[in-house]
Amino acid sequence: MSIEFTIDGKVFSAEPGQTILEVARANGIEIPSLCREQRISKTTSCFVCVVKDCKTGRFLPSCSACPAPGQEISSNTDEVWDMRRTALNLLLSEHSGDCEAPCTLACPAHAAVEEYVRAGRQGDFLKALTIIKERIPLPMTIGRVCPRFCEKDCRRNVYGKPVAINDFKRLAADLYYDTYMEKLPEETGKRVAIVGAGPAGLSAAYYLRLKGVAVTVFEAMPKAGGMTRYGIPEYRLPKKAVLDREIAHFEKLGVSFEYNRTLGKDLSLEDLKKDFDAVIIAIGCWKASGLRCEGEELAVPGIDFLRNVAENDNVAANPGKTIVVGGGNTAMDCVRTSVRLGSSDVSCFYRRTEAEMPAEKIEIAEAKEEGVKFEFLIAPVKLEKRQDKLVLTCRKMELGEPDASGRRKPVEVPGSDFEVEADTVIAAIGQGTMAPEGLPVNRWGNLESETPAPGLYAAGDCVSGAATVVEGVASGRRAALAVCKDLLGLEEKAESTIFVSRGSWQSLKREDLVFLRNDVSEKDRAKQDLIPIEERVSSFAEVAATMPPERVMAEGERCIECSCTDKKNCKLRQHAETYSCDVDAFKGEKIAVSYDTRHPLIIQDRGKCIKCGTCVKVCKEVVNKTLLSLKLRGFSTCVGTAFDGGFPDNCAECGACVDACPTGALDWRHKA
Amino acid sequence: MKIKFLRVGVASCGIAAGADKVFEKLCEKAGDIPVIGVGCLGHCYAEPLVEAVTEDGSSILFRDVKGTDEAIDNILSLGEKDRFEIPEKRKKHELVKVLALAGKVNPTDISDYIANGGYEGLKKALTLSPEEVVNQVKISGLRGRGGGGFPTGTKWSFLAAKQAEEKILICNADEGDPGAFMDRSLMESVPHQLLEGMLIAAYATGATKLFIYCRAEYPMAIKHLRIAIEQIYAAKLNIVNGRSLEIIIKEGAGAFVCGEETALIASLEGKRGTPRFRPPFPTDSGYKTFPTMINNVETFGNVPVILREGGEEFAKTGTESSKGTKLFALAGDLKNPGLVEVPMGKTLNEIVFEIGGADKDNVKAVQIGGPSGGCIPVELFDTPVDYDSLKALGAIIGSGGLIVIGKDRCMVETARYFLDFTHRESCGKCTFCRVGTMRMFETLERIVAGKGKESDLEMLEDLGKKIKAGALCGLGQTAPNPVLATLRYFRNEYEDHVIRHRCTAHQCNELVKLEIDSSKCIKCKLCIKTCPVDAIDGNFNIDAEKCTRCNSCFDVCPKNAIFRTDLEENK
Repeated sequence: MSIEFTIDGKVFSAEPGQTILEVARANGIEIPSLCREQRISKTTSCFVCVVKDCKTGRFLPSCSACPAPGQEISSNTDEVWDMRRTALNLLLSEHSGDCEAPCTLACPAHAAVEEYVRAGRQGDFLKALTIIKERIPLPMTIGRVCPRFCEKDCRRNVYGKPVAINDFKRLAADLYYDTYMEKLPEETGKRVAIVGAGPAGLSAAYYLRLKGVAVTVFEAMPKAGGMTRYGIPEYRLPKKAVLDREIAHFEKLGVSFEYNRTLGKDLSLEDLKKDFDAVIIAIGCWKASGLRCEGEELAVPGIDFLRNVAENDNVAANPGKTIVVGGGNTAMDCVRTSVRLGSSDVSCFYRRTEAEMPAEKIEIAEAKEEGVKFEFLIAPVKLEKRQDKLVLTCRKMELGEPDASGRRKPVEVPGSDFEVEADTVIAAIGQGTMAPEGLPVNRWGNLESETPAPGLYAAGDCVSGAATVVEGVASGRRAALAVCKDLLGLEEKAESTIFVSRGSWQSLKREDLVFLRNDVSEKDRAKQDLIPIEERVSSFAEVAATMPPERVMAEGERCIECSCTDKKNCKLRQHAETYSCDVDAFKGEKIAVSYDTRHPLIIQDRGKCIKCGTCVKVCKEVVNKTLLSLKLRGFSTCVGTAFDGGFPDNCAECGACVDACPTGALDWRHKA
Repeated sequence: MKIKFLRVGVASCGIAAGADKVFEKLCEKAGDIPVIGVGCLGHCYAEPLVEAVTEDGSSILFRDVKGTDEAIDNILSLGEKDRFEIPEKRKKHELVKVLALAGKVNPTDISDYIANGGYEGLKKALTLSPEEVVNQVKISGLRGRGGGGFPTGTKWSFLAAKQAEEKILICNADEGDPGAFMDRSLMESVPHQLLEGMLIAAYATGATKLFIYCRAEYPMAIKHLRIAIEQIYAAKLNIVNGRSLEIIIKEGAGAFVCGEETALIASLEGKRGTPRFRPPFPTDSGYKTFPTMINNVETFGNVPVILREGGEEFAKTGTESSKGTKLFALAGDLKNPGLVEVPMGKTLNEIVFEIGGADKDNVKAVQIGGPSGGCIPVELFDTPVDYDSLKALGAIIGSGGLIVIGKDRCMVETARYFLDFTHRESCGKCTFCRVGTMRMFETLERIVAGKGKESDLEMLEDLGKKIKAGALCGLGQTAPNPVLATLRYFRNEYEDHVIRHRCTAHQCNELVKLEIDSSKCIKCKLCIKTCPVDAIDGNFNIDAEKCTRCNSCFDVCPKNAIFRTDLEENK
């Protein structure tokens, strides 16, 4: 005798004992559930499957409620979604884990860091390179010059130094630069013009080629690479040995380059738009900011100084006594280049203190090793020429209130002016975009939008302002994906929006870390071999060598592998995405870190448990073992083994509970 | 006048006040006069109570009796000291039916119960057909006294209609609401009345197995029930429908949720005490899947009354939708706490002020129905107390716990207190209750600490409503009630906390300081000597930084010169 009822206005019939959820699923109506597992008796725990009984106004867990004759169920109203979202938000509020590793979250390109480090640890650097190239098409370059955002957030910082992540990229790329080749799809017939062969333009070209789009890159300079070639000095990024090889790969991929073509001079956007299906502007930031004081024209702009050296194969006149004004990476490149050109007296003047310097710490340290002097809390007020010498008048500063960037603002000290003599003064204050006419710019002079007009896309520094190579690469990929979506209708699977995190390492103690492997290496961070200091200061030879594979593999053993074992299959995360949940909707206590890795193959992480008891019932009702039980009550409820004795070894042969767990609370320890 | 016998109230409440000593001393000194330990008369405020029944049948009550020779001699000589009269106002409103024998009979003596009309109801029932018994209960209009208010006769008819190898009858004696002690009193004072009600129900429904699920925190109730069960076995009163029925007492392990029927059954089965989704209802599939019916202690306590006087007579008491009398456990800020039985439909004014003797100028609200209930502000005290009127106000009659809240109590703190209880007692099974009540509790903790935000109030309301709608069982579905009710009637107090960071009632420690009124202070220095943290200096200034708001000085001050006030910055 079947029961007639409706879901969302449609009539269905149910067999006695059939639940609303079963009827809905059998008829293609999507109702989410975390705790319903067909093989076991009902758990009625997660309440993500609620539906509304329209006549009584009651919300029912559809996994457990059987339809009544004539019942009218709604499963798809805002109200029902709101209830489900609330249930998911509540579960997320007690959820403790890392949907993604902090290194990957920190990487502007969202490279799968943990995964390529694992491949490297296992000695499979080809696999590592494949993973890296999914997000980073310039691994040789970035493997050398990246400021390592990932490492700054590495949890190993909790005790000791971060994993030397970037060295995995560098080694993997160096090992396979000439043999690695992507499989290209058939040509789609679409053609895209990219203006600018810097990191963003190259990245866009790369990801377009992988989708079968023909790409022509127009470059104003005689060679490709952009700032990596004309800004980053040879000693950090050798041009012939590294950059040329990396660029050559793009030619192998079928990217055509047209050099010495400058937008606005030899090229017009209008023509490009006519000739191509889409145009990506990636022209970078090539306009140097001046000293912003009287006589600023006497100073050499930092990027011009560097470009001049690069264009002349690192041959240039000794700049003599050199003062570089500025505290960023360009300033560091200028001082260290000046040293290599033979100057024995190089200073860096910065208006705040070392703590506020935007340059990488390692760059500052290496500059100091090379004899560069640093003067802090100094700002230029006048530059003039007296006889052969330049005279820079400076004013002392002190730190005042924090400004918008959170850094303390330098304030002038009245009457503190003093003069310094120099042969060369370099202004490494900042860079701006030379925006093509007619495109809207923001208040910093950069392009306002990544999609300025139909068929027109923008990427890299010209949108963001001067940034890092990896940020440029990420931006270029975004542009390529946007083009693919618009031209080819290819919708890339959206990035996850749900990232539960145990917190930044600064807020954690060692006891708060969850170790998937028992044998995480306690060794210190691997170090790069540097060439002797005498060679450093007298030549443009690359300062650091690529680490040998054994060292990198051993370094991989230091990785804690923070990300959730279940990040790809976690039902909580999947439903939370569908229901646009907010991991911070409810804030409050989470269960203290509590995990069990006594079993060689299984990890139980209580912070990820949603207390549905599915595992308990699977073990009892399906496997017939009853090795698990729910313990404690209320918010402290957890799943445990008898007398906390842990899982027996032979659980490895079954794993039914592991497979049934909707989250990563019970999972296999070995990540693939 | 000669004393015929003496009664001493030695239920838990009496013993807590020292009645056991009084009992011993009386036995020692009374000579030939029988001294009977009886249950509770309901006047907690006057315990220990002794009743002297004289040979002419009159009764003289003594209150606050000490175990001293002097006090005992005073009783034995029927002296004028310690005399107690039941207040007229209470007499006016009280209608003692269920508790008629409480404090009158020896709970451990079946013959005393029988001599006073006990088991008459059972006898009467056995002369009727089971259907007719069910019908009498239906006619009586009795509704479940455990909180749900489901019509008892209807429930019985469900079980009666079942054909099964075993049919289970369970008495829910897991009285868990803080401040509720109706069931305990009944079990301690007249255990046979409960058993009589159960036997009648077993006859009417054809139940084959009887359980009493009693919280282990009630040792005296359990002891008295065990004795009573032995006595009915001996008297063969347990032979019903030609079967010798076993009555099994199962002691609970302290979980509040086991008062919920499906959790109770799970616990009885030896499983983890967590509820399950209904349907199936226990009458369809309960204890070990047998048809099972669960009634509360007070519900069963009403049954012998119904059978004795007939359903129709019973239904004459009460209101249209709520028949009979109701037991209330009065507690909180009132003069005469205790147990009281009144007809359904008495107003809160009558119960709180006339019976409870609360001070009219110092009552803000009453919390009714324990942590699952809600508060009702004093302005609405003319509401008749019955199932439906209270529901309309956002409260429930619940099991009958009635806590009077004085003006010096903070309603936010009161809500926090109840949520503290419920979130701990959540079984942890369903998301809305386990996490939702925790998040509500945490938010209330922040608010009473002065760290709340205005948006917290909307969040509490929204989440509270969703927990009510989404939680699996009655615990979760009612847990937000204290918060939602206080938000409804005392929103201004919440706003004071979150906007002005002040506690209207000056109760929340983080938001007040203590000060000394120099015009009242007599400089006795008791406060200085008492302060555990040396926060009071020689000039009688209290250092708000050092002060822990422990109230020691407040309590010790002979002149009431110390008062709690807003922090300077929040004034």
